[in-house]
Amino acid sequence: MADKPTPLLAVLQLLRKYNLKGTEEILKKEASLGDVEIDNIDLPEVELASILTSHHTESDPYTYEIAYDSLKKFVENSLDMYKHELSTLLYPVFVHMYLSLILYDHNEHASNFLEKFSSEQEDYYQDDLKRLAIVKNKDQIKGNELAEIYSSNKFVVQLSRDASSQLKRYLQEQKSSTVIINIINNHIQIEVHDGPGRTQAQVRATAGGILGEATKNENRTKVYYGLLKEPDIQVLPAPVEDEEEPEETPDKPKKKKAKKDNIFMKKPKSDPNAPPNDRIPLPELKETDKLEKGKAIREASKRVALGPESLPSICFYTLLNSGNTAISADICDDSTLLAVGFNNSTIKVWTLTPVKLRGMKSAEKLQDIDREAGDVLVRMMEEKDRDTCRTLFGHGGPVYKVGFDPFKTMLLSCSEDSTVRLWSLQCWTCLVVYRGHIWPVWDVRWSTHGHYFVSSGHDRTVRLWATDHHQPLRVFAGHQSDCVQFHPNSNYIATGSSDRTVRVWDCLTGTKVRIMTGHKQSVFTVAFSVCGRWLASAGACGELMIWDIATGSPAAALPPAHTASIHALAFSRDGTILSSGSLDCTIKLWDFTAITDEATNEENGNSSTAQKDDKFLLRSFATKNSPVKSLHFTRRNLLLAVGSYEGSS
Amino acid sequence: MGDAEFGYGSSLSVDSMKVIAESLGIAALGDDAAKELADDVTCRLKVIVQDAMKFMHHSKRQRLSITDIDHTLKIKNIEPQYGFLQPDSLPFRFASGGGRELHFIDEKEIDLSEILSAPPPKVPLDVSVRAHWLSVDGVQPTVPENPPPLSKEAQKLESVDPVSKLSKPTNKDAAGKPMCGKAARLKASESVHVKQLATHELSVEQQLYYKEITEACVGSDEGRRAEALQSLACDPGLHEMLPRMCTFISEGVKVNVVQNNLALLIYLMRMVKALLDNQSLYLEKYLHELIPSVSTCIVSRQLCLRPEMDNHWALRDFAARLMAQICKTFNTSTNNLQTRVTRLFAKALQCPSQTNNESGPSMASMKESEKTPLASLYGAVQGLAELGPEVVKVFILPRVRWLGERLEGALSGVGGADRLAAGNLKHQLLKVLAPVVRQLRQPPDVAEDYKREYGYLGPSLQQMVSKLRTSPSAGGSGSAVAVVTCTPPLVPTTPSPAFVQAPQAKAVETVATRNVVISASPVLQTPAPVTPPPQKFVIVSQQKPPQVQPVSGPGHIMVHSSQPTLVRSQNVQAPVSVVAKPVFARGGVAIGPSQPQPPPPELDDLSHLA
Repeated sequence: MADKPTPLLAVLQLLRKYNLKGTEEILKKEASLGDVEIDNIDLPEVELASILTSHHTESDPYTYEIAYDSLKKFVENSLDMYKHELSTLLYPVFVHMYLSLILYDHNEHASNFLEKFSSEQEDYYQDDLKRLAIVKNKDQIKGNELAEIYSSNKFVVQLSRDASSQLKRYLQEQKSSTVIINIINNHIQIEVHDGPGRTQAQVRATAGGILGEATKNENRTKVYYGLLKEPDIQVLPAPVEDEEEPEETPDKPKKKKAKKDNIFMKKPKSDPNAPPNDRIPLPELKETDKLEKGKAIREASKRVALGPESLPSICFYTLLNSGNTAISADICDDSTLLAVGFNNSTIKVWTLTPVKLRGMKSAEKLQDIDREAGDVLVRMMEEKDRDTCRTLFGHGGPVYKVGFDPFKTMLLSCSEDSTVRLWSLQCWTCLVVYRGHIWPVWDVRWSTHGHYFVSSGHDRTVRLWATDHHQPLRVFAGHQSDCVQFHPNSNYIATGSSDRTVRVWDCLTGTKVRIMTGHKQSVFTVAFSVCGRWLASAGACGELMIWDIATGSPAAALPPAHTASIHALAFSRDGTILSSGSLDCTIKLWDFTAITDEATNEENGNSSTAQKDDKFLLRSFATKNSPVKSLHFTRRNLLLAVGSYEGSS
Repeated sequence: MGDAEFGYGSSLSVDSMKVIAESLGIAALGDDAAKELADDVTCRLKVIVQDAMKFMHHSKRQRLSITDIDHTLKIKNIEPQYGFLQPDSLPFRFASGGGRELHFIDEKEIDLSEILSAPPPKVPLDVSVRAHWLSVDGVQPTVPENPPPLSKEAQKLESVDPVSKLSKPTNKDAAGKPMCGKAARLKASESVHVKQLATHELSVEQQLYYKEITEACVGSDEGRRAEALQSLACDPGLHEMLPRMCTFISEGVKVNVVQNNLALLIYLMRMVKALLDNQSLYLEKYLHELIPSVSTCIVSRQLCLRPEMDNHWALRDFAARLMAQICKTFNTSTNNLQTRVTRLFAKALQCPSQTNNESGPSMASMKESEKTPLASLYGAVQGLAELGPEVVKVFILPRVRWLGERLEGALSGVGGADRLAAGNLKHQLLKVLAPVVRQLRQPPDVAEDYKREYGYLGPSLQQMVSKLRTSPSAGGSGSAVAVVTCTPPLVPTTPSPAFVQAPQAKAVETVATRNVVISASPVLQTPAPVTPPPQKFVIVSQQKPPQVQPVSGPGHIMVHSSQPTLVRSQNVQAPVSVVAKPVFARGGVAIGPSQPQPPPPELDDLSHLA
């Protein structure tokens, strides 16, 4: 296609897009363009916008450098109170200048421009810049994911009212900066907030997202982060006491109950932040599930109280001879089973107690069993003990995540073969294959109440499923999510992403209720605190952050103690200790009570200036060359960790 | 291309494209086309590698593997590359020359017939799970499953640069180290931070351990001793007790040399050996205590009460080997360890008036007291010999003539002990010198030449050398092999005349004994409510090398009482016997035969050590 008609074609395409038939006809006639040519128009959105907006500056690549320099000077010379906020503008302007230089075929200038200014950008953007630097000519933009993200989304910059008026004045004064004006108009969304300009630390705390900061408006929605009232607690004391004290005295049950409530219902009965119990329809508990719950509560009453003074004991399960093949691991809620997903698409389940893994009887034998019998559940299992380890075959690619359901009857796994599979732990076969994701599925998590689960995949969707539907109930689209987690009240899910944001979605409405920026690296794992208010997220380079769901703001950025990516996070059952396990072969324990105390203090205005680098980290335990794959607190607050030994090299 | 920031070798060059094109049969690829292609391919490759990183991250790895690339190709709808399977990462080799630099993968040519005829490879071991306590109530037990509290590198750094410890704040990385309750509480509640140089305080458990170990090491029960030495040689986390251990050894040697207590000296040397063998310890800081002790055991004038009967020669040999091991491990250009040790031994060989008269005065004219005792000479020779043939050549060979004169005098004398010592020294000298001389001299070996050059020892040396030359076993192998012989570990003997004649038989007795200790921490933990006490399993197995015959011929004595195994029967060739026995409390439980053992008379001296 010749150079000359390209802008014309672009205009035509725009007219067509807006369905302005009359104008289109006239233009066609005037430009004497044939229908054939017009039918061929299929300019990418990116190109279209750039062509139309900065058509008149395209010829001069030198203006870019000058313009960027002048913007930089403006930022540097502005008052300190605006400087840091304004400096967030530099990166998006820089990126879009680079992209438009390439769009107009000034490839040489583009790479010079990149070389000259890329080192000045913030450190957390350097990885992105490296990815962007691959793009060296116009054709490569189309295939580049990052470039597409930049050109099809607006970069969000938050400025105080004064800073934004400063910026406006500057843009009006500068005649040469049409490039910048174009970029700011088209690619940057400036959010004006009332109040004074933020300090460098404040700006840095929330900066880092691939598309800038989260806007305040996005986090306005109320999130019911409280916990649901446990319906079964009222049901349970009876069986519990039956077992523990055969002869009931009239006084004792009450005492017991009161004590129990103390332990399990720390918050007031009517939590103002809790969602209504029927906000999300939860499954009826089966008899067996109730038994399991009862067991959990009995166990929990023997729980050790943890704190900085009394650290948990850690039992480490080393996977020997696994090399790099073990990818994911999970321990079931009552800590009796361990599942490990492997590179070679198998899943292995080990029993961690002397109780062997038993299968169900064959169909013929099952027919003979009296279904009304009280011990039908025991009778239907094979009598003779089976192995301590069972292997599940079915996936066709590395198993990226395995997860036991809360009642220990089923296992979920997701794999590179883009399926999620549900396995029965009674007959040891695959029950359902959930298809829907089109690319590898990275993560899958059960809801704390069972029945629902959520999966996230490379296709940039997060899907909410119920075990009895083969199609997802909800699809949350919008960002690349690498990890997901259910809120303890099952009403929300959180996703962490390699675009360095953490988002919270409402399962009921399917909308995004929180978007939290501040991570400087990809997020690999997220975990909700026991109370449901806080969210911990961790990722590459050992970055670990705590968020307040109530406001969507970062509560704490923990000092980088780990030297490699964190892939496991676990809260102790009483919510006082946060443990993180990393590929650098260490497990670290954090004083979560102190972290939240400080966060709430800061909220109330009395921020302590104490050096917090050392304060939160309680202890670090090194393993013997075994990267930590999974962490789990037992009901009695013993920390279990799983890692695979990688040889003594 | 040539953006400096992307580093070297991250893009394909035009030349590479042309080479690749040629290999495909496209002869003349234009420069422009090549450049265009190179840029495009580079871009595509980079995109693929960056996406592959994602797979790597989700596989919780830190190394990109071939499967990651395959999966990336798959999601990009590109056919994966078949046939590139490698379980581990591929090491790139680098070569340069002629101004060109090249990275390549070392691919070996594989002979298919070899693979076909070879037995099928072993099935790889299945994945298994093993549990251990990483931490008990916030304290990391020092069991072999856990990393040593202070890595060897850290210990090394500390000994080289003691300031480094000061500059570090009380780091929480070392938090796994066992702290006694008080320190732990202090640490938790302390508001004013007091910088400590080092913790010299040992926990109660460590003190108990120290007491048990030292008692067992010098006690009379060979079974317990073997266990204790095993613990010293294998258990991680002993570094805090090292100063005390080393002092124990050095004090023990001082006392027992004076007392001429051979057995205890041997026990102490075995402790040194165990500490040297411990992979998690770095002993450099304690060499100033260890080296004098070890060298004492090599060159001391008298090591036992009855030099004419007791086998102190074995101790000297053993200690000399230890010294060589120390030199090998810790010699650096700054401490010049080997040089200093060599000088020490060489001085012992120096004849007092050698400086004035090279040929040496006649032995008769020298007073008996001025002479270095023969036993010390033996030690010095042995110590030098262990350091290698080069040392032998430089330091022993020039003194052969003088040594020969000493020997001649002693052998012709009447003193029983002296004669014995001279005999031993002669034997040792010949053994040490023969390989060196063999290398130095060309055949034929003429007795007269030898006599002229080496004096009294000449003829015997000549015999030895010619024997060496003819014997096929020593044929091609270097002389060093013959010099540094591998001798089994030492076991002190109850003094018995028969023993002196057959020291080797005794020593061989224990060579095959191998104790495997899979144990919980050496430090007994405070019992936690949730944790069962760690159990200690001692697995004792015995394998006899075939060449050792358990025949008790004349002069060979089987001392079963000191055999550190559970195998009691006479049939020592019983393949393997594995006994697992929990010994939580070390005191009292001894593994070993319960046969009555005549305690060596020297053991009364224990009181000096305690």
